[in-house]
Amino acid sequence: MTVREFALRVLQLDRRFIFVLMSLVTLLPLLYPLGLPVRVSPEAYNIYDTLEHLPERSVLLVSLDFDPASKPELYPMAVSLLRHAFARNLRVVTLTLWPAGTSMAESAVIQFAEEAGKKDGTDYVFLGYGPGEANAIISMGQSLTDAFPTDYAGRKTDTLPVLAGVRSLRDIDYAISLSAGFPGLDTWYVYGKEKYGFELGGGCTAVSAPKFYPFLQTGQINGLLGGLRGAAEYETLLNQAGKATAGMDAQSATHFLIIGLIVVCNVCSVLSGRRRGRL
Amino acid sequence: MSPETMTIVGAWVATGLSLFIYSFLYKDNPFFKLAEHIFVGASVGYLLVITYHEVILKKLAVPLIEQHEWRLVIPLLLGLLLLARFFPRLAWSSRITFAFILGVSSGVAIPRQLSSFILQQVQGTLKPLLTVDPMGGVSFGLAELNTLLILIGVVSVLVYFFFSIEHTGSVRSVARVGICFLMISFGAAFGYTVMARMSLLIGRFDELILYAAPEYGYATIVLLGVVTGGLVWWQRRSFQTDIKTPPTEGTQ
Repeated sequence: MTVREFALRVLQLDRRFIFVLMSLVTLLPLLYPLGLPVRVSPEAYNIYDTLEHLPERSVLLVSLDFDPASKPELYPMAVSLLRHAFARNLRVVTLTLWPAGTSMAESAVIQFAEEAGKKDGTDYVFLGYGPGEANAIISMGQSLTDAFPTDYAGRKTDTLPVLAGVRSLRDIDYAISLSAGFPGLDTWYVYGKEKYGFELGGGCTAVSAPKFYPFLQTGQINGLLGGLRGAAEYETLLNQAGKATAGMDAQSATHFLIIGLIVVCNVCSVLSGRRRGRL
Repeated sequence: MSPETMTIVGAWVATGLSLFIYSFLYKDNPFFKLAEHIFVGASVGYLLVITYHEVILKKLAVPLIEQHEWRLVIPLLLGLLLLARFFPRLAWSSRITFAFILGVSSGVAIPRQLSSFILQQVQGTLKPLLTVDPMGGVSFGLAELNTLLILIGVVSVLVYFFFSIEHTGSVRSVARVGICFLMISFGAAFGYTVMARMSLLIGRFDELILYAAPEYGYATIVLLGVVTGGLVWWQRRSFQTDIKTPPTEGTQ
């Protein structure tokens, strides 16, 4: 077999071989972790630092704007942020702008609040699904209790101790949106922060991370957790290795494989002598 | 059913549906189609239930009926007008609601979007290229280099998308710089997309590994065997059907 024939055979390889290879490269580091280091970026550190410097009983709003389809990337962020907030003894107000994420958001909030020994209605509240996308945020900016007369459990919000002194978004000390798309972080910025003046940070899926870097560069948001890597960075900051940190080995391995495949395919393409535009 | 049993049943359902969907990587097959249809049905059903409870009941019916908040009659009527589209003689009345939605949405969105996505972004682009310290010295550091790169990138990409003049001479050179910036941004976006897709795969594999444990009844291992066996049986059956079916006239 000549080099050209070999290169052509590589280029015509059944793509299912690549699927198998990718599965193995993903699976093996999950079964046998390598423990590669995770470097913390300034944008992730800014969110951690903001939470660290909030006085006790400050009001943190966490909007879990994602559904189960983005759970692998955003759920670990929610876990870390909630753990950090409860450890700092902040009042945590949570909601979602995504109807399909309601139950998942509720179970996450309750699970980690109970783990920290926090009391529902006093230390935290889950307001439920806020319909209307941007309108939900505008409505909360005018009056939180009008936007959510009751929380997800059906209790009147104007009597909840956790919301004492919180009339609108202006009374929020820090807001974080974990965003899988629209409505999400940019909606919170455009219709929330800019009008009502609270500090805003966020987490997003890796697909949408490039979209948010301009917001970060201009200071429109003060911190950003991008994808699984962002979640792993936050776990590193908390010194609590979780699912995101465990996944980073597999992430690095798959990236190496993809880079390798790109190089091999390009080399084979040159060796095969195929002309430009024929592939 | 006890919570423990529910958890195990949930693990089996989640594992089965994940493997059914991944079976598409081999080729389109009945397992994949089944999971796809279940997903569509379950998603729509779930959204309907959540919307009914969280919006229609909590935000409309209960305040209107129990607390007599009569102002809610207006959104109720506007909402009902949307349904008039199903009746040809009354369909025109739905335009009132659409006009309201368009008017309010535009009024709310345009100023905010202009401010957030254009004015503030322009402000972020036009930062000082040199820093003057209190002693009168001028410095150019990494932050200023970053600002310069952003400025060059924005200007050159804008020139590339300026089609009113022919791209020749210096305009062509600047536009080519713009293409370089665009290519870098596409590459970064694609890199992040790959990262996101891999994260989703890692998330699923993570759960599949978890559900392979004895406390979940070895769900992943058993169902992987079932799906593989099912695919082999389906493939053989398809192959035998192809052999038995005589080719129709005019086909090869």
